[in-house]
Amino acid sequence: MVLGLQHFDDRVGDENGGPRLDSDAGEELMLVERGVAIALGSRPPDSPGTLYITTRRVIWLSDADKGNGYAVDFLSVCLHAVSRDPEAYSLPCIYTQIETEDGENEESESSDSESHGDLELSNVTEMRLIPSDPGQLDTLFGIFCQCAELNPEPQEEEEEENSWFFGSEEMADDGSDSEWQLSEHHANPIGYANGDHDLACTVHELRINDQRFEDAEEVESASRNGHQFSG
Amino acid sequence: MLFFSYFKELVGKEVTVELKNDLAIRGILHSVDQYLNIKLENIRVVDQDKYPHMLSVRNCFIRGSVVRYVQLPPDGVDIDILHDATRREARGP
Repeated sequence: MVLGLQHFDDRVGDENGGPRLDSDAGEELMLVERGVAIALGSRPPDSPGTLYITTRRVIWLSDADKGNGYAVDFLSVCLHAVSRDPEAYSLPCIYTQIETEDGENEESESSDSESHGDLELSNVTEMRLIPSDPGQLDTLFGIFCQCAELNPEPQEEEEEENSWFFGSEEMADDGSDSEWQLSEHHANPIGYANGDHDLACTVHELRINDQRFEDAEEVESASRNGHQFSG
Repeated sequence: MLFFSYFKELVGKEVTVELKNDLAIRGILHSVDQYLNIKLENIRVVDQDKYPHMLSVRNCFIRGSVVRYVQLPPDGVDIDILHDATRREARGP
C-alpha cells in the first residue's frame, strides 16, 4: 500500500467502464456519483468525471479523457470535510487532506508544482471533490466517514495494550496510591509483566504472602530494647 | 480502550486536535470511535493564515492515525480519575 494520490486508468471493459476493483481482496463499491469534478491542490478543477467510492479507496475517472483518473487509499485520507463557504472555495465540495509518502504535508503553493504545469501526485496534499449536485455533499461526507472506519491502521505485531512499562516495587497495592509511579528506566524488575498478567499476579502474591520473607524470630529478649550494635 | 472511553466522556466539549502535519483544529468533539477517529463540529483552524482553505468548513472528520495531540479543556480533565483509570488499565484484567 502506497501513501498518497495515484494515477488510475484501469477500467473494466471498454473505455466507458468503471474501475477494476481488487475483488479478491474484498474491495467493493460503496457509491457511484456522476458529474463530479476533482481539484488537486490549487489547480483548477478537472473536467467532470465520475466518482467511485469503494470500501478501500476513492477513485475518480475522467469522462472527457478516458485514460485519466486518480485514486487514493482511505488509509491516506487524513481529514475530510464539507466546504460550503464561497470565500474559502468558489464551489461547494468535499475537502480532503492526503497524507503523502514523505510525511510532509506542506500547504504552500510550491508543494504541487505550478498550477498549470506537470502535476507531481506524490506532493498533492489537498483534494476537492465537487459534485454537480451540492445536495449530495452530506451523503458523500457520510460515506467518507464510513469508509474511513472500514480502513483502520494495519495492526502492528505487538498490541498497544501490552506494551505498558511498569515500575517494580510500585506494583504492590499497599494502599498508598499517591506513590504509584511509572518508571522509565528498568532492566528486569520483579513484577514486570510485559503483558503476561498471570505472571505478575503470581509474583505479586509470592512477595506478599510467602513466609520466607517474614522477619526472623528474635532469640534474646534483651535485643528488643537496645538497638545498638556492640562495637 | 482507555482513551476511547475517556474521549467519549469529552463529547460536547471543546478540544484542539493537532495533526502530525502541524495543522491544529479547534472544535466541539462530536464523536470518537475505537480507532480514535475524531469528528469535530464548529471548527476553527488555529493558525488560519497558514491554512486558509479550511476557513469555512463547519464539521470535519479526522483520521485517528494522523492525530499527534488532543488538547483537552482544563475543566474537562479530572486528573485523579484519569490517573486511576490508567493504572487499572496497566494492571490488566
